[in-house]
Amino acid sequence: MQEATFLILTALAAGSQHGYGIITDVEQISKGRVRLRAGTLYTALERLRTDKLIEVDREEIVESRLRRYYRLTPSGAERLAEEADRLRSNADVAMSRLEMSCGVATT
Amino acid sequence: MRGGDDVSDSTQLERRYLRLLAFYPKAFRREHEQEMLSVLIAGAAEGQRRPSLDEAIDLVSNAIFMRMWQMFTKLFVRPYEVRHRRLLWAFRIVWGLVLLGLAMFALSCGSWWALWFIAGAAADFVFGYRIYQIAQSQPPT
Repeated sequence: MQEATFLILTALAAGSQHGYGIITDVEQISKGRVRLRAGTLYTALERLRTDKLIEVDREEIVESRLRRYYRLTPSGAERLAEEADRLRSNADVAMSRLEMSCGVATT
Repeated sequence: MRGGDDVSDSTQLERRYLRLLAFYPKAFRREHEQEMLSVLIAGAAEGQRRPSLDEAIDLVSNAIFMRMWQMFTKLFVRPYEVRHRRLLWAFRIVWGLVLLGLAMFALSCGSWWALWFIAGAAADFVFGYRIYQIAQSQPPT
């Protein structure tokens, strides 16, 4: 799973969000490292939607502009949990080996 | 977020975004154009009048990617039944027109029995449409 995809799913994990909400949330989650552009975001959303990992939650008109909210599907939540698990176990191994090899604490 | 005090700036920006969004496939635009436009406008700086180069490249490249992807799926992933159904329609229309032409010709020569041809062509369309409806209600997956 690409990092952008992982971050989008993470942004939706706590509840439904609209496009711009996802962009700002992904920026926060990644501590400003990943700033999605609209085209990239919608290509990812389109793919996630055809894979049934997300779905449209509702639509709103705010200041005469359309907002469409997306949410995780159960299989999307499952997929995200699997991926998070995988990343964590990789990260755990990396950290423990670094400690073993030179005893340098990483902060 | 932008303040709405300078209307001409925002409409100009909006028009330019729409011009970039025009690169997307029609079906995608119908569903997502307004939505993407509001995301783009929300992300724009106050007083911004034109999309940044990054934004333009991002939109156009994603649009082209989406078009190529659709072309690919249209060519190779479309189920056989769908192509068959479409082809059958084309065939039916051509055949109906041939029947109709023959009937017109015979009628103009004063042969009233040619009315049966027209009835036949009409029946062909009616039954064909029924079959089409049934096929539509059970879309191939």
